[in-house]
Amino acid sequence: MSGFADFWAGRDLWREPMIAGVLAGAVLGYIGVFVVLKRMVFVSAALSEISGVGVAFAFWLGAVLGIDPHAHATIPLLLEPTWFSLVFACLAAALFSLRPGHRKLATETIVGLGYIISSALVLAILNSPRIAQEAHAVGDILFGNAVTVPRKQIEALFSAALAAVVVHAILFKELLFVSYDPETAMVQGIGVFRYELLLNLATAVVISVATRAVGALPVFAFSVLPAAAALMLTDRMRLTIALSVLFGVVSAAVGYYVSWVEQLPTGATMVVVASLFLLPGLVKILRRSSV
Amino acid sequence: MELIRLERAVIGYRTPLLPPLDLAVRAGTTLGVLGPNGAGKTALLKSLLGLLPLLGGRRILPHGRSPRVGYVPQRDRLDMSWPLTVLDVVLMGRARLVGPAKRYRERDRREARAALHEIGVGDLADRPLYALSGGQHQKVLIARAIAAEPELLVLDEPTSAMDPAAERILLDLVARLKKAHNLSVVLVTHQLTAIPGFATEVALVDRERGLFEVGPVERMIDPDKLGRLYGREVRVAKVGDATAIVIGNGAPR
Repeated sequence: MSGFADFWAGRDLWREPMIAGVLAGAVLGYIGVFVVLKRMVFVSAALSEISGVGVAFAFWLGAVLGIDPHAHATIPLLLEPTWFSLVFACLAAALFSLRPGHRKLATETIVGLGYIISSALVLAILNSPRIAQEAHAVGDILFGNAVTVPRKQIEALFSAALAAVVVHAILFKELLFVSYDPETAMVQGIGVFRYELLLNLATAVVISVATRAVGALPVFAFSVLPAAAALMLTDRMRLTIALSVLFGVVSAAVGYYVSWVEQLPTGATMVVVASLFLLPGLVKILRRSSV
Repeated sequence: MELIRLERAVIGYRTPLLPPLDLAVRAGTTLGVLGPNGAGKTALLKSLLGLLPLLGGRRILPHGRSPRVGYVPQRDRLDMSWPLTVLDVVLMGRARLVGPAKRYRERDRREARAALHEIGVGDLADRPLYALSGGQHQKVLIARAIAAEPELLVLDEPTSAMDPAAERILLDLVARLKKAHNLSVVLVTHQLTAIPGFATEVALVDRERGLFEVGPVERMIDPDKLGRLYGREVRVAKVGDATAIVIGNGAPR
């Protein structure tokens, strides 16, 4: 059987992970334009890790209280890892929205601290003897595996993506202004903190949900690579967004297909495909610099 | 009529930068805020605009509301790599007028293009931001401020990277806009040459020396006052209808 025929025959197996990947590629391709332009690419990595702390914490708390968060039928709503993941990511997003008055503690430093501390916390909690038996399963829930994605996660990802797109569609004018020139926006009486918080919360919710669906590495990659590739090709905002979404979708779909046919790790293959979209922009830059 | 008044205002981020000060922005005037780099001018401007809470004293709005402000930030604080056209940037000036969660209308596009024409860069409307020269970028930022239909035009170091001729051309443009739109203007600068022939009132600011003094330009462009501000000998002379200011090598008189 040829590669594609084999792939098509297995569509019942890959349909849901493919939908999750394409959805994540599309919405992160969009959000990534703001992430890259605001020079906060590390934020998505930090949010990913911090939402992971929420999941790990839910398991640890469940273990302490004698409740298994895997047992969905009996798990109290308050111990649902998804909620912990969202709450932790949203708190971090709120923290990143603050403009520190202290010169030695820039937002970049706060994001870095968030990443380092949360990475350490995840490791510490996952290696805790209380949840040692579940560490592997918790790892999958924490950072996804992009191979099997429960329908519930696709629904959650779709809802998060829809919410983020609606926020951007309604408040695009304000989000663009406060992102590009917060100082002037503030002078004009635009609520800069309010809009930045909303932007960061939308980003946090999408990243938190997408990380669990497709994994930390593709989420980080989709929020940086398609936008960076699009920005190298055009100088129009709407075209940048359209290209970035397209690159995200194609990276996820082609990446998944190649990983299936060549039996490669899914997340990493998606990232490699996404990075190929940088090539046209690099060629354009090289051509310009050689003139 | 005053637009904004500071009374016994103590300004600073955590600790006071200057002694308690009184300062008013009056309708139809041009206030020049002059001081060396790091003198506390930006903190004073932020306090005046209500962006930095006062550590003491009061900020009074005699109209009962903040005036509509057209703001021209320091050009080098903005990222030229954003995929925006000149028109996209000028439209931002209309954001407050349009209201939250509403799109720019055709009227806003017309007003933005009109502002660009008025500044003399109407042909740049569809040009990408990165393709502008420094001078063009400065004019686009002024057009954005005018598109906001301001009562008060605030410019933060607008001529800092300009040669003297370009500086004068830009200040003449601002003077023309002031007259055409009946504006009040606040100009923050560390460049002595920007003030004479442009400002009607001058505030001298220097936190190092704990100095704040405000008054009419004729009184403030004074060798002794400027000498104290810059810690050097300063000479002021009339050349035709212009004022020449020379900073010497000696100590202030």
